[in-house]
Amino acid sequence: MGEVELSCRAYVKMYLHACLFPRCSINGLLLSSSPAGGPVCVTDCVPLLHSHLSLAPITQLALTQVDVWCSQTQQRIVGYYQANACVSDSNPTPCALKIADKISEQFDNAVLLMLDGSKMSSDYRVPPIVMYERKDSKWLLKDKHTIMLRQWEETRAIAGQMLESGDHALLVDFDSHLDDITKDWTNQKLNTKIAELASPANGNI
Amino acid sequence: MASVSEMYDVGWEEMRDKLRKWREDNCRNSEQIVDVGEELISEHASKLGDDIWIIYEQVMIAALDCSRDDLALTCLQELRKQFPDSHRVKRLSGMRLEALERYDEANKHYDAILQDDPTNTAARKRKISILKAQGKGTEAIRELNEYLEQECLRCVCCVKMTHPQLYQSAYCFPCHFHSYGKAAFCLEELMMTNPHNHLYCEQYAEVKYTQGGLENLELSRKYFAQALRLNNRNMRALFGLYMSASHIAASPKVSAKVKKDNMKYAAWAATQINRAYKMAGRGTKENKCSMKTVEEMLESMQITMS
Repeated sequence: MGEVELSCRAYVKMYLHACLFPRCSINGLLLSSSPAGGPVCVTDCVPLLHSHLSLAPITQLALTQVDVWCSQTQQRIVGYYQANACVSDSNPTPCALKIADKISEQFDNAVLLMLDGSKMSSDYRVPPIVMYERKDSKWLLKDKHTIMLRQWEETRAIAGQMLESGDHALLVDFDSHLDDITKDWTNQKLNTKIAELASPANGNI
Repeated sequence: MASVSEMYDVGWEEMRDKLRKWREDNCRNSEQIVDVGEELISEHASKLGDDIWIIYEQVMIAALDCSRDDLALTCLQELRKQFPDSHRVKRLSGMRLEALERYDEANKHYDAILQDDPTNTAARKRKISILKAQGKGTEAIRELNEYLEQECLRCVCCVKMTHPQLYQSAYCFPCHFHSYGKAAFCLEELMMTNPHNHLYCEQYAEVKYTQGGLENLELSRKYFAQALRLNNRNMRALFGLYMSASHIAASPKVSAKVKKDNMKYAAWAATQINRAYKMAGRGTKENKCSMKTVEEMLESMQITMS
């Protein structure tokens, strides 16, 4: 199948989500604001849960709400990400496959992304991700060469910097939102911070 | 790097008290415990008296969490010197081996404890945790079941009162491995001994909802409602009530009366949800976004129901 591009914002938020709950399985949705057709460009993500990933009600609720938000903001749900609590296991769980199946009903080129916990330390130079695509009703490993992260070094640096300065504590996932509905699961504040760090005007990188 | 006492301007007594509070509250803020504990141990050990042993244990466990094997080993060695035959210290040795993923050796430690003392809960729990860490879900659940049954045979009341933690972790394991029936069983036990805990009601409702089918949906609606009675600010329960009632109302298998009742429940829940989001949305621009999203979502679900 086609190419998939992962934006800095999407990667950094996924990474921070995993770092915020290191002992939990976490998951979320991958979004795109690009027009249909052509390579899939994951421009954003919404962190969903860090507990009881396999229970239905909250997952359904989150999917519905994100769907509505996407239609209000000209975005689409194009994929699903998950990081398992057990660091050495980066295989998709049955619930991951189920949710990814649901997403692919609405979007043909949906992707399933697993974060590989064993490769997330700062000395790893490659993106700690494993991507799957749907072929003949099965989720198969995607060819690494069709996965693009533009400016990977810069993205990696931003993720590391934000972790160091404790910015991951600012991340709100859907679970946290339900504990306190004044918290914003679209993470506008975090998006702004990431944009500032990525801006070419910022002399650091 | 500045020391904890310098950064936060605290003395050793405050640090010791903080560690005690974290112990009593069962906090898992391991990085903080390591920072405070390491400094306390290296600079103020002599002042701590007998407290030092429990602090060594607390810091050791936190150090394992932070991959600080050097610190964990130091604490463990002190404990071994002081309590050479202790089961509790043996269990800590096992935990260190688990952290290093040397599961076979860890199991040997726990088996040795259990040979001496077959009722040692802590060792049983660690063995089950190892199975979970190795991804052996079915075995983990089987061991857990066996353990719970044995305990029930011995003393029903006793176990339920004294091992809520076991049941709590017990319902998480089955959920993780998709054994919803077992998760439901554990939650039923927890609800019996903790009838005022809204979280158990709500979790039970979620499990029932996940199991699916009309009967389970109706049960799930009842328990979401119960959770709300116990805590009317539980948003998960509120949404859960809305969703379960909506699904029941939309089912072709229900009578007109049941449909009408559930539409009433759903409508009530929707009002409460909208009200909660309006209150939350006051002032901040970001929350207006989630308020609008929820409004639209509730509207769209109404259309599919009628």
